[in-house]
Amino acid sequence: MQYSRVEKEFFFRLNGEEVRVRAPPGYTLLEVLRHILHLTGTKDGCSSGDCGACTVLLDGRAVHSCLTLISQVEGREVTTVEAVDEKVADAYARHGAVQCGYCTPGFVVATAYLLSKMHNPSDAEIREWLRGNLCRCTGYVKILKAVESLAGDDG
Amino acid sequence: MKSLSYIDVFTPRSLEEALELLDKHRGELAVLAGGTDLIIQLRKAQQKAPNLLNIYMLDELRYIKHDNEIIKIGALTDFATITESPIIQRHAPVLAEAAATIGSVQILNKASIGGNIVNASPAADSLPALYVLNATLTLRSKTGTRKVAIEQFYKGYKKLDLQSGELLTEVSFPAMKQNQIGMFFKHGLRQGDAISVVNGAILLEVLNGYVKDARIALGAVAPTVVRATESEKTLIGQRLSEDVILKAAQACLTSISPIDDVRGSAAYRKEMCVNYLYMTLWQMMRMVNL
Repeated sequence: MQYSRVEKEFFFRLNGEEVRVRAPPGYTLLEVLRHILHLTGTKDGCSSGDCGACTVLLDGRAVHSCLTLISQVEGREVTTVEAVDEKVADAYARHGAVQCGYCTPGFVVATAYLLSKMHNPSDAEIREWLRGNLCRCTGYVKILKAVESLAGDDG
Repeated sequence: MKSLSYIDVFTPRSLEEALELLDKHRGELAVLAGGTDLIIQLRKAQQKAPNLLNIYMLDELRYIKHDNEIIKIGALTDFATITESPIIQRHAPVLAEAAATIGSVQILNKASIGGNIVNASPAADSLPALYVLNATLTLRSKTGTRKVAIEQFYKGYKKLDLQSGELLTEVSFPAMKQNQIGMFFKHGLRQGDAISVVNGAILLEVLNGYVKDARIALGAVAPTVVRATESEKTLIGQRLSEDVILKAAQACLTSISPIDDVRGSAAYRKEMCVNYLYMTLWQMMRMVNL
């Protein structure tokens, strides 16, 4: 399909800094992050909101960047895995909760979101809040252990 | 991932401006609310995707109000907000329950109730709850406001009583009464984030142990959500017993016409529909007869 490309200017906050980008208004936030800003931590998994690999925080709430157009981000605050507290990724590494690693950034952001909503989630709450993230390697047990290790952590 | 780099997106700053644009570009714009269904559909489309009217910025369409025993929800309100709302939990728990099952945390944070209604999937999880709550939709255009009962809004599979130039702005319904109980059920193939194989909502009004009124709506088993009128009739005037609820559950077969698809066969849907109705009515029977 060959149609002419439209471009507009967008302004938003990304990981604490103000950003101005020229991008097609029909581009997803994921495309802007990866292809224009070269922030490649956020992954493109299924492109349909099923796998959670592209999870970012929009105004502090977990959303799919593959189902968010840059036009919806104008004037808002975006936080990507690059700016999430390192202790979350460290917990995943320490517990061996990473195999191929493709789903990990999405899990890390979803975990940070969970911990922002509740300090000390139960096992059931962890499963409920991470239900939108798929991992095809680990079988989830080590992921749950990693998140449990962060629950109630004051550090 | 197929890119939508060729489409234009208009972002109005107010509802008035949105209605103005919708009127000016009659029939040419698709409305972008949360986008969790629309963006997938646009990428899958074989033809050129339409330009978009991005209403996601219109915070004036995000609210939940309790006003003279009527609950009013702004069309852009997302499902996380709905399921966590004390007003909804108290006055329409059947909707709070349905909202929680719509999808993953990421979907709940973005998908809007208006989007779920206008996208018009027969499997949309909020719809059976809105049917049994007798919801009314407010449609606005540059020239006026119109109200439509939710059951009248759907004319067939994805066929809506919505004119070009009209925007869904509000969903409202009467707050549930003290003697009403409601429950939602959903059978999906994955717990976290699945399209329903069958879903439904039941609302019973009980007086002195007898069912005074019953409303049952079923999803994913017909081109639109349907009321199970025969099941309702079987319940009204009765005291809930295993016998009565079994008859009521089986009576739903006269109201549904499911299809075979990737999520399940028609025969499977029929069986699951009866089973879920029975299981849900059984739970409600326990609550009523306690």
